[in-house]
Formats: sequence, structure tokens, C-alpha cells
Amino acid sequence: MLLLLGAADIISILITVGIVFTLVEEGWGFWSQVSLGDFLTGKEWFPVDDKFGVLPLLGGSVMVALLAAIVAVPIGLGSAIFLSEYATPRVRAFVKPVLELLAGMPTIVLGYFALDSVTPALQNIGALPANQTYSFLSAGVVVGLLIVPLIASLSEDALRAVPRAMREGAYGLGATKRIVATRVVVPAALSGIMASIVLGLSRAIGETMAVTLAAGNQPNLTADPRDAGQTITSVIVAVSKGEATRGTINYESIFAIGLVLFVVTLIINIISVQIVRRFRTVYT
Amino acid sequence: MATTAHSTDVPQVKPLARKRFRPADAFFHWALLAAIGIAMGALVWLTVSVVMKGAGSLDLGFLQDKASSSAKRAGFNSALVGSFVLMLITMVVAVPLGFAAATYLEKFAPSSRAELTVIANRRARALALRKEAGTIGGAGALLGSVSVAFGRVWARIGPPIVRIIDVNISNLAAVPSIIYGLLGLAMFVSIMGISKSLLAGGLTLAVLVLPIIIIAAREAIRAVPSSIEQGAMALGATRWQAVRSQVLPAALPGMLTGTILAMSRAIGESAPLVVVGGVAFATQRISANPLSAGDQPLVAMPLQIFDWVERPQQGQWGPLAAAGIIVLLIALLLMNAVAIWLRNRFTRRW
Repeated sequence: MLLLLGAADIISILITVGIVFTLVEEGWGFWSQVSLGDFLTGKEWFPVDDKFGVLPLLGGSVMVALLAAIVAVPIGLGSAIFLSEYATPRVRAFVKPVLELLAGMPTIVLGYFALDSVTPALQNIGALPANQTYSFLSAGVVVGLLIVPLIASLSEDALRAVPRAMREGAYGLGATKRIVATRVVVPAALSGIMASIVLGLSRAIGETMAVTLAAGNQPNLTADPRDAGQTITSVIVAVSKGEATRGTINYESIFAIGLVLFVVTLIINIISVQIVRRFRTVYT
Repeated sequence: MATTAHSTDVPQVKPLARKRFRPADAFFHWALLAAIGIAMGALVWLTVSVVMKGAGSLDLGFLQDKASSSAKRAGFNSALVGSFVLMLITMVVAVPLGFAAATYLEKFAPSSRAELTVIANRRARALALRKEAGTIGGAGALLGSVSVAFGRVWARIGPPIVRIIDVNISNLAAVPSIIYGLLGLAMFVSIMGISKSLLAGGLTLAVLVLPIIIIAAREAIRAVPSSIEQGAMALGATRWQAVRSQVLPAALPGMLTGTILAMSRAIGESAPLVVVGGVAFATQRISANPLSAGDQPLVAMPLQIFDWVERPQQGQWGPLAAAGIIVLLIALLLMNAVAIWLRNRFTRRW
């Protein structure tokens, strides 16, 4: 019986091994046709012309993640400070479940929301040209909304872990609530806050459906958030939506960029763990 | 509070000076309120715009009609049935595995090398004593020394392995869901040769939620105080009996709550399903029998919505997509309500 239970744990290892194995094995053919140098430095992703440069896709992913962070960090951190320092228990009991609802929202719904509501609103306020249906900006905004609850709840945990005595000490010196929050509590919780932001970035890079729907369907290496383009994840969806038969370069290419995505998110997650481990101050 | 408000004879304490208005503090407070307002406002905006657009198409016929290429006749029935079967497959696969893994990790996994070494040494001594007394035969002695040797090796490698599993599970929970889609496509469809079906989709979702279920179940098991287990063992139960008939029943509501929350994540997932099965344009009614899932096309609520959102002529298809989203959100709300109810109804404070 014990062996059976233990075997269930081995499966979790097998899943990781399986992920790495399939990403490498199924993408093997790709690496024999495209050199690693061309792949990593190529500025064009255009499979029809055998151009497989990952930069536009990676750039798209980074662009969406940065835009999402610009939206989500102030909102998420503000919500966290509000919930931990300002809100009464009753307000908190109301706000937290609502934020959890936003956290559990299927990303396809947010994609629909981006196309149906956010993009027209951005066009109305002049942030987007009137005829621009797809844009990184719109995708970044909804992905930002998606990671707000993540950043808010993890940051709030960090803020609440700061001991009360530190707040009281600051109040005793005549600090106002704002000073206590910004100069005492937030610095004391900084490692947890940074970790939450990094995790949010990782989530944003891996985000798929909202980006697929809102960002566009042509790879585009650009620095202008108003442009349309594709990310690693949306290319994977676009390819597998059609007929990606095993053995074709299209099929192999999604495993190759999947490997890139896996490595990038793994590195980001490791960074967040390291931040917590290195900078955490333990208060007793 | 209440006493000072009601007693009129006690003079109210007045502050020496009125609290000074500090613009920076007020501005900061307003900024925080704005942040939370934007987050909640976005949710309200989303809900209102979806309901306004989709409510008109949402009727009984929408739930009964099968998929169709004509917007007038298209319905959500296939998608509903598909999602239902997917959830069944996912649960049947992921729940036993997840609960077993969590139980082992939380209750039986070797934690310290010292402890295991002590146990192995004790066994070695017992074996030596029996050999001296001559109560054990040649085969038994051989078996005994093999098990002692295994115990010594396990004391050395067991704890690190468990640590690796531990880290690995939390890493898996942070892997983007589309990577699980690629895993499913390669493993189930390409290598194992399952067709791009509900079965392949369900297995993929099972792999996706397994780490989440393990983490939730571990937390539930950890919440049961060790005195329960120790009490059972003091009455003569073995470790396994104590865990099976005392700890697990006490942890079950928490484990189920975690499972339902994991399933509510799975029911909204679309990216891995698109990668495994493509976007199905199946117009036939699919069977709700999970045993025949291997040859049913992969259709699910999020996939159907994706298909509708992506079509041109959004004037026709947009309302259908919105109606589908309403159904999906209602399903999610129901699952969350059940989870909250379970938590409030059965969770005990120790």
C-alpha cells in the first residue's frame, strides 16, 4: 500500500521528465533543420519562407508581460496596501472574494473582453487608431487585469506578515498612516512583493488565450505597443489550431518554441524563489 | 464602543486639536481606493458587457441545440456535454493519484536521515538476535539482511528524493498551461496514439491539475492535528490504520474543496485543449458516455467559445460567444459555491 502511495509521487517526477522529454524529442527535427544561431537571432518568423527567428515571438511575449506589469503592479500593490493597512475587516471580507473571482476568470473570457470591450474603449480614448482591431496594448491590459489578483494576494500576505510592533513604533514617532505604509511596512515586505511581481510576470508570459485573441495573428518585431503581433504562446495556438501533422516542420516548431517558453518561465520562477530566500527578513 | 455611545453622563474625550488635513495622506488614500476600484470595476464592466450581449441568445434552445455552422441554429449542447465528460475523466484520473501522492508526502515520506538510520539499525539488531537464537532460517535471514541493506540505502537517498519531489510539484504548478497541451499532444496523441479526442483532452487536463490537487490535499492533511493520529496509534492502531481511518476522513472535506477548485481551473482551460485537439467544428451530437470518450471529438465550452469569438461576422457569432461565456461562468460560480459550502459545512477547527 505504501509503495502504491509512493508511486503516485513518482508520477509527478515523470510529468516533469515527460515535459522536458517531449519538448526535446518532438522538436528534434526542428533543430536539425534550423540552426540554433538563426533561431535565436533571427528577426523574422515566417514558416512559409523557412524563416524561424524566435526574436519577434519572444519580443511579443516580453512586450505583453511588461505592459501587463505596468497595469498590474500599481493596481495590485495598491489593492494589497489597501487590504492590509486601510480596509476594515468587513470591507476586506467583501473585496477579497471579488478579487478571487477575477483570479479564477477563464482566460478565454478575458480574451473576449479584450476584443469586445477593451479595444473599442482604447480606440475611443485615442490610445489606439480607430481601425486597429488587434494590438499588444489591449492584450497587455487584460493580461494585467488577470495578474492583479495574483500580485494583490501574494503582496498582501507579505504585508500582513510584517509585525504590528513595527507599525506601532512608527506611529509612536508621529508617522501618519501613509508614512507607516510606505516607509515602514512596504520596505519590510519588499522581498515578498518583488516575488509576487516576478510570479505575475511569469504568469503573463505563459498566458495564452487572451493574447491569442487580442494581440493579432502576424509575428511582428516592434517596440510600439499599439502594433499587432504574436507571442510564443499565440503562435503555438495558431499552429495547432490548423492541421499540424506529426513530422512536419510546423509541428516540430511549436515544440521548439514551447521549450523556449518552458525555460524562460522556469528561470523566472527560480528567480522569484531566490528573491524570497535571499532577501526575506524573518520577524519574530 | 457601545458603552461609551450610550452613556451620556461621561463627557466625550475631545482631541486637543482637530485632526489636520494632510493632502498627501488623503491623496494616497484615494489612490489606494482607486486601485481597488479599478480592479473591481473591471470585473463589473466585464460581467455587464457579457450579460448585455449574451442574455438575448441565452434560452433553453441554446442549451439543447448542437453545434452548427449556421449562427441561427448553433447551440451549446455539445460543448456542455464535452466539458462534463472531460471533467469526469480528469477527476477519475487525477483525484486518486493526487490524494495518494499527498497522503504519502505528508504522512509517510522519509523526512530525516537520522530517523531512518535508527530504524534500520534497530532492524539489524533484531535480525542479529534472531540469527543468534536460531529462530530464522537461511532464506529468511537472507531476506532480512537484504531489507536491512535496503533500509540503510533508503535512509541515505530517501530524504533527498522526497525534497526533489516537493520542489518539483510546486514548480509544476507554475508551468504555463499551454506546455501541458504540448505534453498531451506529444504523449497521448503522437506517442500513445490516442486520437485527438475527449479522452486525450481529459488526460491532459488531469496532468495539468494533478500538482494543484496534490498541493491542496497536502494542506488539508496538514491541518489535521497530529494528536488525532497519535491517539489512534496509542490505542494500538498501526500508522497506516491511523491515517486511513482517522486522519484521512478528517481531512476529506478540505481535500474535496481543493479538488473542486482545481476542477474549476480545468473547466475554463482552453489553451491546452486547443493544442491537443485543435478547434473542433464537430456538428454531431456527442455522447455523454465517458467510456466512449476515446472516439468522441474534443469539444468543450471554452473551445466552442474560442471558435465563436474567432469567426468573422461577429454581429452573428458575438452574442453566441457571450451566451456561452455566461453558461461557463455560471458553471464556475456553482463549483465555487459548492466548494465554499463544503468548507463551511464540514471543516472542523481543532
